[in-house]
Amino acid sequence: MSAAKRVLLVEDNEMNRDMLSRRLAKRGFEVGIAMDGRAGVDMALTGNFDVVLMDMNLPEIDGWEAARMIRAGEKGKRVAIIALTAHAMQGDREKALAAGCDEYDTKPVDFERLLAKIAAALGTKT
Amino acid sequence: MSRTPARQSALLRLSAEIGAALEEDDVCSRVVHGLRDESLGYNLIGLFLVDEHTGERVLKACEGLKGVKVGMRIAPGHGLTDQALRTGKLVYTADVSKAPDYVRTFAKGSEVDIPLLVEGKAVGVLCVQSRDVNAFGKPDFEILTAAANQASIAIARARLLVEERKRADEQQALLDSMSDLASALELPKVLRAVLNRAVKLLGVTGGQVAIYHEDTREMEILASEIEQGDYVGTRLAYGEGAMGTVARTREPMLIQNYDEWSGRASAYSDVNIHSVMCAPLLIGKRLVGSIATTHSDPKRIFGSDDLRRLTLFAPQAAIAIENARLFTIADRQKQFFEAVVEASPVAIVTLDNQANIAQLNPAFERVFGWTAAEVLGKSLDALITTPETLEEARAYTNTAVAMQTAKGIGKRKRKDGTFIDVELFGVPVVVSGERVGVFALYHDVTELLRAKSDAESANKAKSQFLASMSHELRTPLNAIIGYSEMLEEDARARDDSESTGDLQKIRSAGKHLLALINDILDLSKIEAGRMDLLIEPVDPLTVISDVNATVQPLVAVNANTFVLKAPSSLGTMYTDVTKLRQMLLNLISNAAKFTEKGTVSLIVEKNGSEIYFRVRDTGIGITTEQMSRLFEAFAQADAGTTRRYGGTGLGLAITRRFCRLMGGDVTGESEPGAGSTFTIRLPIDARAVKPTPQETA
Repeated sequence: MSAAKRVLLVEDNEMNRDMLSRRLAKRGFEVGIAMDGRAGVDMALTGNFDVVLMDMNLPEIDGWEAARMIRAGEKGKRVAIIALTAHAMQGDREKALAAGCDEYDTKPVDFERLLAKIAAALGTKT
Repeated sequence: MSRTPARQSALLRLSAEIGAALEEDDVCSRVVHGLRDESLGYNLIGLFLVDEHTGERVLKACEGLKGVKVGMRIAPGHGLTDQALRTGKLVYTADVSKAPDYVRTFAKGSEVDIPLLVEGKAVGVLCVQSRDVNAFGKPDFEILTAAANQASIAIARARLLVEERKRADEQQALLDSMSDLASALELPKVLRAVLNRAVKLLGVTGGQVAIYHEDTREMEILASEIEQGDYVGTRLAYGEGAMGTVARTREPMLIQNYDEWSGRASAYSDVNIHSVMCAPLLIGKRLVGSIATTHSDPKRIFGSDDLRRLTLFAPQAAIAIENARLFTIADRQKQFFEAVVEASPVAIVTLDNQANIAQLNPAFERVFGWTAAEVLGKSLDALITTPETLEEARAYTNTAVAMQTAKGIGKRKRKDGTFIDVELFGVPVVVSGERVGVFALYHDVTELLRAKSDAESANKAKSQFLASMSHELRTPLNAIIGYSEMLEEDARARDDSESTGDLQKIRSAGKHLLALINDILDLSKIEAGRMDLLIEPVDPLTVISDVNATVQPLVAVNANTFVLKAPSSLGTMYTDVTKLRQMLLNLISNAAKFTEKGTVSLIVEKNGSEIYFRVRDTGIGITTEQMSRLFEAFAQADAGTTRRYGGTGLGLAITRRFCRLMGGDVTGESEPGAGSTFTIRLPIDARAVKPTPQETA
């Protein structure tokens, strides 16, 4: 395996952010953190990340809007975006895909499942 | 020359004449005519009858003298005839010219006066005059006395006939008067009148009328005219006593010696009744009651004539009684319905054919605030509608006018201008096929609608609360589960088995809590009608193999074997895959939970337009009683089960609701100790399906 994959975690909840980022780091990811949608878009477009874990319920700019902005702004390399939502409502997945996300997972996060989805997203990327 | 043959032939002639006469006047003129014989010297014959009221003699017939008028009256106290009348004996005046009392008819001659006696009483006098003095002798007296006797008998008979005819006429009049009874309507009054007339008609001393109660098969006496005792209200069994007997036999009956009659009812042991005549009161073949007439005088013997009259009378009495009875029933019903309308909390108003108010009940006054006096004759629609609701109200009225029932819910205006919500009915009132008006009912549902809307918004708030609560709970739960997992991994890496176990418990409790929250969220979404279905084409075999893989570790926990039975192809199914998977996992995990070292099977088969998914286990099973509660939310077989086996207790409730949303259902059958089978049936194509009605949990 080459260099560590870079993951951007866009999450406004402090505990979730802390927990997820630490667990990802333990599994060998380089983790970048954004606390809101705007920062998430900026970092995603400039930070050379491989995958973005995007919480959908964010203040001001929500996850869907952020995903659309990333897709609109990125040049060349296409970053993988995995939407995370606590809603688990019917149609959330379709909505996320329509906004430009590649995958979708529900919160609370099943960590092993999330890792599998990240791997899958990266696999399609590389 | 002998005049004897002439006298005898006169008497014979007289007998023949008066034998045919039936009326008094006729008898008189025939007597006079029969006796007239110039050869016998009976030159003038007259017959007087006494007017009982004045005592005057009235000339009834006369022959032999012109100018005398029939009907002439002679005051008592003078005249030769008066003597015969007073003494009751034949009076002979040989020379009238010497008699001071002679009412002068001839200048000279003789006169015989013979009284007409009926039961010893002089009712008239026969007067025979001759122009010759000393014209009459003993043979004449004999013949005239015989004639007078015959005349008396004939007159008595004629009078009796008149009496009888009069009585018959009266009785006929009584019978005729039954027709007026037929229109009398109060039952007790009618019964008394019936009895009264029967007693008069038959000239008896008493009687009774009983009506027949079909339900209890008893006769109840409702009118009685018997001296001893009050019999009204007395009941006789069908077949008991005279009245019960005629009720049973349907034939009239005569009892001449009632004292000795063995069939006498015990209620009549003390009465002084000599004879009884009884008849059933029938309308066609239907028994209405019976009537008895009684007589206490042994001299009065009931005969066939009496029976004939009673049987003539009885059907009319029966009709009169039945009319009154029907009227009483109808009247009671009328009163009942009037009371219902009066007491009804629903405003009831009757409209005429022009949709104007004809009648209203107190509830109308309360509901709308108008009094009857204010609104009678006015247009109902104009009164209680607004311009906005007028069209709608007219439509209802027109529907009712068009002979159909109109119903709906709408707003109507009260007198004070406030509005009420009403549930309304418009019903045409049809009498004998003809519409005579419209009946409008207004049920004030303002409170009801308010309560309903309150309940609806409360329910909405509840669902909203549950949805946001479960969302808010999930975020911290996320952290709990995540951190415990993380620490568990760390502890495992350190080989710290004590911490691993504890952390596992935290994680497991967190996951249970999460499952609960998810289930509650599902249920509240279903109840709020916000659970969407995502129907997509799927091969059920794919779902099944997916489930098969997932449940392996689950089934292994209690050392169970999992068996899957499915045909090689099931075709394409249109269903909500996520929910189908969730339901199957639910049933299988339940089965695995309640089975140890046994078998859990999933059997899939096509059945018409449905696919059946059966989950069968060899576990502990449950009773029928427990089964019936199993599909309710939070109902495991008993409270202890939850502690022992875990689970949210919502799985089956959710499964049932999901199934019904997709037009299917889930059922279970079980025997304690012998395992359970739960069957999910789902339509193969759920795209056009209407959800099965959900009962509220």
